Amino acid sequence: MLRWLGNALSSSIGKKILMALTGLFLVVFLAEHILGNLTLYKDADGTAFNDYKHTLESFGPLLKVAEIGLFAVFAAHIVLALKLALENREARKQKYAVRAHRGKATAASLSMLITGSLVLVYLFKHVVIDFRFNSAYHEAPAATVKETLSKPSNATFYVLAMAILGLHLAHGFRSAFQSIGASHPKLDPLLEIAGTAVAVLFAVGFATFPIYFLFFWTGGAS
Amino acid sequence: MSGANPDTMRITLKVWRQKDTDAAGSFKTYYLHDVSPDMSFLEMLDVLNDRLIQTGDEPVAFDHDCREGICGMCSLVINGQAHGGDAGTTVCQLHMRRFADGQTIHVEPWRANAFPVVRDLVVDRSAFDRIMAAGGFISVHTGSAPDANAIPIPQETAEQAMDAAACIGCGACVAACPNSAAMLFVSAKVSHLGRLPQGKAEKDRRVVAMVQAMDAEGFGNCTNHFECEAACPKEISVENIATMNREFLVASFRSRDLG
Repeated sequence: MLRWLGNALSSSIGKKILMALTGLFLVVFLAEHILGNLTLYKDADGTAFNDYKHTLESFGPLLKVAEIGLFAVFAAHIVLALKLALENREARKQKYAVRAHRGKATAASLSMLITGSLVLVYLFKHVVIDFRFNSAYHEAPAATVKETLSKPSNATFYVLAMAILGLHLAHGFRSAFQSIGASHPKLDPLLEIAGTAVAVLFAVGFATFPIYFLFFWTGGAS
Repeated sequence: MSGANPDTMRITLKVWRQKDTDAAGSFKTYYLHDVSPDMSFLEMLDVLNDRLIQTGDEPVAFDHDCREGICGMCSLVINGQAHGGDAGTTVCQLHMRRFADGQTIHVEPWRANAFPVVRDLVVDRSAFDRIMAAGGFISVHTGSAPDANAIPIPQETAEQAMDAAACIGCGACVAACPNSAAMLFVSAKVSHLGRLPQGKAEKDRRVVAMVQAMDAEGFGNCTNHFECEAACPKEISVENIATMNREFLVASFRSRDLG
């Protein structure tokens, strides 16, 4: 019944469109995430952040559905990326002896697989070790965040990870629009600017949290 | 660029030699001492081949035909760049004065699984022909020549279609793409034919059929590096790829073909 959809989505263009849509969804998630994080700056004792977390949890099963959905989108984005990368590698078995790019491909565009993989490594620490699956975080959310991010090793790791995320977004955001067919002489220059802006805003925005808790936070670390 | 504008240049060529599709290839080094800066790159290869024939060696096989940048036959990767480093030109329009006296030049064929090497620098680009056969045409009863301007076409549309139609099917986009994708070629055809009233009737069927044919040939996927646009001798815009992506998506949903 849906064979036509399967055929369309498993084609080269279909896979790219799925990459783009999952990627853009994850950018929307990042926006929600950074807005939620801003509650950390609202007060010194972390009440705002704890309230925010409780509000999210008050959604109960809906939150679970959202979390599973988010995980599925991440998984789809990653699995598709690996599949595309593998196919693209396969498409040229005999490599060039000399390779010179003509200045259109960028460090960001050529390193999507690497930056994406590093973000995945970061996510494992961020989600599994530090917060979501760490029982201490659920007992004292804001305190755990502040404590974790105020450790120099963690703060360095987080800041580096955000720089890599920025690099990933620097190509990914603009590229997603091309993949879903949004290109026009009036739109393209705006997308170039928006791509850079999104990359810098998220990288710098998220990096402010570890930098703040490492250098400026005096609220009684352990 | 040649420094002192010498009458002749010395060039070291490292040329990919490969006996046939299944043989393993390798670079062979040739020294040329009497290259005129005014020769085209292909004329320089002619000189090399004359010399090879005189010494009883096998000449270097390379594709060429019109030698004025419109046929799309010449297909060399020179120092890592499809058609050499100049913008908007084919290899036959590249002159030796663009190289330095004493420079070493690597010459390789287009490299992509979908373009197997036939011999030396000649690759089999029939994959493009099969994509074209899948939908790169307009099915009309030709009859006698229609009246000019009988079908009104807005100037902007005509210009866009003409820009896409400038594609000569040389395959430089595939050669330059880090993923060996053929998106720029296919999108140029989709965009060229689909924009015009005569081609609109088959628009949906065309884009789906051509993309399926492209995928079947084993080209890579587009990751939007835009190296194709930079390498294209006809400077076809990657906006065509976005157009194709959009049309493919729309056609997939709109078409009544359930397969």
